[in-house]
Amino acid sequence: MTLPFLSHLSPALRNRLRFLLAGNLILLAFIYAHTLSNEKASFLDELSRFGPNVAPLILAALGLTGIVYTGAIDLSVGAIIVVAGTVFGILYEYEFAPAVCFAACYATALCLSMWNACLIRWLKIPAIIVTLAGLTFYRGLALALANVSLEKFSGQISIQGDAYHRPGNEWAGSILLFAIVIAIVWESFGKTPRLWLAHGSSQAACRLQGLDPARLLTGAFFVSGLFLGLAALTETTRGLTIEPNRLARGFELQVVAAVVMGGTNIFGGEGSYLGTILGGAFLYLVGQAMLYAGLSEYSRHAVHGALIIGVIGFDCLMHRKAKLLEELR
Amino acid sequence: MPAPLLTLHAVEKTFAGVRALAPLDLTIGRGQLLGLVGENGAGKSTLIKLLSGVYQPSGGRIVWDGNQVAFTSPRDALDTGIATIHQELEYCGHLSVAENMLLREPWPRSRFGGVDWPALRETASNILRDFGLDLPVDVPFDSLTPAEKQEVAIAGALARDARLLILDEPTAALSEPEVERLFGHLQRTQAEGVTILYVTHRLDELFSLTDRVIVLRDGELVADHETQEVEVEQLIHDMVGRPVEQVYPKTRSGPKSDDPALAVQELSCDAMFTDISLVVKPGEIVGLAGLVGAGRSEVVRAIYGLYPITNGRMTLFGHDWHPQHPRDAIQRGVVYLPEERKRQGLVLEHGLDTNISVGFTDLLARYGLISRKAERSRVDEAIARYDVRAAHVSQPIGTLSGGNQQKALLARWLERAPDLILLDEPTRGVDVGAKAEIHALIDRLADQGRAVLFVSSDLPELVGMSDRVYVMNRGRIETELSNDELTEQNVILAASGLFEAAIS
Repeated sequence: MTLPFLSHLSPALRNRLRFLLAGNLILLAFIYAHTLSNEKASFLDELSRFGPNVAPLILAALGLTGIVYTGAIDLSVGAIIVVAGTVFGILYEYEFAPAVCFAACYATALCLSMWNACLIRWLKIPAIIVTLAGLTFYRGLALALANVSLEKFSGQISIQGDAYHRPGNEWAGSILLFAIVIAIVWESFGKTPRLWLAHGSSQAACRLQGLDPARLLTGAFFVSGLFLGLAALTETTRGLTIEPNRLARGFELQVVAAVVMGGTNIFGGEGSYLGTILGGAFLYLVGQAMLYAGLSEYSRHAVHGALIIGVIGFDCLMHRKAKLLEELR
Repeated sequence: MPAPLLTLHAVEKTFAGVRALAPLDLTIGRGQLLGLVGENGAGKSTLIKLLSGVYQPSGGRIVWDGNQVAFTSPRDALDTGIATIHQELEYCGHLSVAENMLLREPWPRSRFGGVDWPALRETASNILRDFGLDLPVDVPFDSLTPAEKQEVAIAGALARDARLLILDEPTAALSEPEVERLFGHLQRTQAEGVTILYVTHRLDELFSLTDRVIVLRDGELVADHETQEVEVEQLIHDMVGRPVEQVYPKTRSGPKSDDPALAVQELSCDAMFTDISLVVKPGEIVGLAGLVGAGRSEVVRAIYGLYPITNGRMTLFGHDWHPQHPRDAIQRGVVYLPEERKRQGLVLEHGLDTNISVGFTDLLARYGLISRKAERSRVDEAIARYDVRAAHVSQPIGTLSGGNQQKALLARWLERAPDLILLDEPTRGVDVGAKAEIHALIDRLADQGRAVLFVSSDLPELVGMSDRVYVMNRGRIETELSNDELTEQNVILAASGLFEAAIS
């Protein structure tokens, strides 16, 4: 018997999941071996940090997965987090209660994601163009907002008080677990993700079948906003300061990498939420493993990039013949 | 007498001032099987798209079942009861057969609110079974053969209680037995009271299937015949506006040499074909027949260097031939026209000129640079030589008719003066006038001493054009037919693996 969320996947995608699962286990074993030989490190501490550290990446990647299913992309996820974080910081400076700051942060991310969808729908411009523009526009917007709202804005907002850091530290693991369960159940028993894949596979087929492609795309951005709100909340409340200029820099590339590593076709039509989760975890564990291996920061960036190409390339090479035959059939 | 199912009153369509369909009056009765023919660009697709809600008319009225209707989207047409199977099936390849069939229907839910996948699959299976098909519904749609895809699409359309079924060239990708099976389905469907509008370029199909035939030419309805009362010559005359003398010309004098241009010996390619041996001589047209999936296209692609060979040997004009890449083939004077010209042959958004010149720019280059003047002049010559008709040379090739697209592709490669020409379904989706022109061109090429190997599912074309035909079945050559043995019936028998039994 096949689990429901696996039964829809192509053999190539299932292979990718197996590959990533094995990779994650090997990396965990590597980290475990290093913590054993290092008196200052503890494997349990490492595991407990896994949730808070990886939550923003996987949450944002889960959101992006639905968009990529449709054949679109959102390159502004990092910049949206910056605006959401800045709104959080401004409200904190005005001494609003933590719950209000959290809600505003979440709502900002959701609204901007929806705003992207509206622009794509109204202007009929490809998502990649709209969100590429958003990538710089939103970051500028965050700085302008902070400048206008705060009298003495020095480029960063310092957040004091444990209550304001709970989502990013204490709750991150639970939030992530909750989101993962929702995503997998939804993928297993929901019709909407399948319609998004249908849109990504053939927009014309959807239209001729009487479906509304614009509505499907808007729906994907809305659900992405729901996940992105959680990502913004966990990312923003993790550190002691919010620096709009530095917050979530390069985040969008990590998110795209997690989605692609997970086997989701960047052109839409095929993919898996489970793959995204495994892909995000893999990217994080690779980073941690390199830390334990003592690689310098510069080398880590290079190795990270090389690994993404290496893993996907190796996987494609391994299954090239199977894919060719699949195509021919 | 019951009211007609559908009536069009002066329905017309213009695009930016250009008339695609002149005001058209048409009545379609209930339970009728109506054929619609016309050359490429005659307005058939426009009419179909108006009826299926893809386009909205620029003027006129559509009356459905006595009520005036306006379709603003395909959804409206589907809700009204009009289901359309377009010539190029649009489907979601990675999704399962069941999902594709029921994409817009409410999916069955379990008591927890989630999709009940077994029930969904059962619903789809039942629809196919009622239609007489026994296919797995949980496999990706992409894994079906073209014929199966077509049948599944029709079964899915009828399951939506369609009252008017529109089929645009449904047999373009089907082999003869599959066409017969489809006709069986359509006749049963008509007997159940469903009205069918059947669009085709294959005139023989009209006579074996339809009750009435209408003809469009240059966006106008020019003829409306009871099928039993019209001759094929009259239909061709109505379509092209002039008599077409010969659809399958044979003016060539036969092979120019006994030494083969291409000799293939026991060629095999994993999971695609096995032990293929064939010969094509200069000046000869050799057909490759078989059912869809028999491996015909794969053999041709392997000769062109698109697929790796696992076993066997090929020679080209007496020299060993091991193409690793199509580039090798092109350099040795071998050219190939693919089966799906839009997907594999053309850059649809680019102009006619760039689509043609891409085939021979290397011949014009000096020190890696190309003179635009020389390129343009060569393109103009090619367009004139192969009679490609377009408003201007830079017109996007996607907007040309199928026949002109195919002639442009031929022009691209023939400008290289190739020695071996590989053609895969060279006249698929091409109207009868352009078809005759392409056939005449192929005949002329053979007469000039070029070797032609071509794949076709159009049996009259295959038999009419070829000197010899190799028939494939399940990845192997079943038999070779020539002279008196080369008949449509024998090709069908051999393609089904029954030829040897029949002659013994």
